[in-house]
Amino acid sequence: MSASGPANYEYVVARIRHRRAGLFGDDEYRKLLRMGTGEIARFMEDSTYKDAVDSLASRHRGMDLVEYALNEGLAAEFDALLSWSEGRLYDQLAKYLRKFDAWNVKTVFRGLYSHADTDAIRADLVDAGEFDAAFLDELLSADSVETVVDALSGTIFDTYLEPAFADYEDEDSLVPLENAVDRAYYENLNPSQPATAAQDSPEALYAEFLTAEIDFRNARNALRLARSGVSVDPAAYFIEGGTLFEASEMTTLVERQSDLVSRIQDSTYGDELSTALTALEESDSLIGFEHALDRALLSYSDHLSYVYPTSVCPVLAYVLAKEREVDNIRAIARGREAGMSEDEIQAELVML
Amino acid sequence: MAQDIKPTRKNLMEIEDRIDLSERGHDTLEQKRDGLIMEFMDILDQSQDVRSGLEGDYETAQQKINMARAMEGDVAVSGAAAALEEYPEITVESMNIMGVVVPQIESTKVKKSFDKRGYGILGTSARIDEAADAYEELLESIVLAAEVETAMKKMLTEIETTKRRVNALEFKLLPELHEGKEYIDQKLEEKEREEMFRMKKVKDKKEAQEEAADEAAAAESTGA
Repeated sequence: MSASGPANYEYVVARIRHRRAGLFGDDEYRKLLRMGTGEIARFMEDSTYKDAVDSLASRHRGMDLVEYALNEGLAAEFDALLSWSEGRLYDQLAKYLRKFDAWNVKTVFRGLYSHADTDAIRADLVDAGEFDAAFLDELLSADSVETVVDALSGTIFDTYLEPAFADYEDEDSLVPLENAVDRAYYENLNPSQPATAAQDSPEALYAEFLTAEIDFRNARNALRLARSGVSVDPAAYFIEGGTLFEASEMTTLVERQSDLVSRIQDSTYGDELSTALTALEESDSLIGFEHALDRALLSYSDHLSYVYPTSVCPVLAYVLAKEREVDNIRAIARGREAGMSEDEIQAELVML
Repeated sequence: MAQDIKPTRKNLMEIEDRIDLSERGHDTLEQKRDGLIMEFMDILDQSQDVRSGLEGDYETAQQKINMARAMEGDVAVSGAAAALEEYPEITVESMNIMGVVVPQIESTKVKKSFDKRGYGILGTSARIDEAADAYEELLESIVLAAEVETAMKKMLTEIETTKRRVNALEFKLLPELHEGKEYIDQKLEEKEREEMFRMKKVKDKKEAQEEAADEAAAAESTGA
């Protein structure tokens, strides 16, 4: 693992091809849908989650075992990815995996705010980002939100959290802090492509992928704002770095949902999302649309990984596919635990 | 019981007054009972609708929160819930339905716009919004169900009480009063008959004494 030197795309991609073949497919999901949580844990024991399940089985059972094993499995997988990567690939991957740092920071904030047990907060952390276990322990041992904010100085979240903390103190609400953490993550993805890169170079396509992720996040939030009908300044919820629309346009688009939908339809993502957009107009729920966005992102990352097999694209495609696998297994296990029908659970899964 | 009453004309008048009052009370209570039953049936229909709505809302809310927990994690969901800035409030006023005081529960600050829910917007998904929406709906249904079902229970208690009063009047008090009245009537008639018989006897006796006195006087005057 090193951020210096040349990128070792070939080596990492070769290892990822092997790992990718081990991801759960339709058949596995079909089997899981018919199992209880205990059986799901046993099934996971025969998969890449074996080590995580074995190490946790003496302490947890049922849904807890599945959930913790998934988090541990995911963290181990992404730690391995980072440890194999070198040079520019490490930079690109670490930057993307900071989403788990953002997740961990938000989880610690929420846990402290709701006076949750440290073990409960720790159980929800995913040690897959740049923060190491010692730093996460430092965050967990903090006795207040202010201590966590202080501990984060020097990270990408620092400059964003400073003004947000003042708002947090004024309003006694986590909203400014959570928004600041997410904004810090997305705006530091920095999808702008190098000026020297050709339009169809891996760098350009990588930038395009990150732009799509930011655009999808903006589209998702704009639709949530449009649906809620609240009178807030939508521009405050805009993340820079996308191309779908500008912060100045967001207010108008949020006021008229039909314009927003047309804008997405006319964009480069229109074809991919057309079915979801039609369904969105008929449905009260945004979840189907969010699934469509997730599916589109997965499919886009997959497409890029075939176009440039020796670039960061296959690595990111694997990261997304692995995350989706974890989300799907968790959804199945939680759904089974809650007594949901197979059809209901199936509707929550995102598969390619 | 009837034998305990002194068969006097004053008691008879008192019993007649009580019968009159009880009969009027019986009619009024019967009307009240029928009215309460009609109101109860309306509330029962409403309650059944509210209850089935509540069950539906509960199932939806559970499903939404389970999926939110599955996708966002337990701490995220409980953190989002704990981040609430303004807590819902309820005010209880009372309303009178045919003499029965039932609560009228008003809830405020249950439904919130999502910028007031306390969790960040940028990084969360619509799942938490929809779980929060579903729980706000559920909370409103619970408040409505509490209002309707409390009213229903109070109405039922009142109907039961009124029914018992009507039955007590119809099958206990009024028959006893009528029995008492009959007893006094009979006793008074009997007394009247006895009095007449006694008067007749006195009259006969007086007449016999007068006759005897007359005869004695006549014998005296003949002897002299």
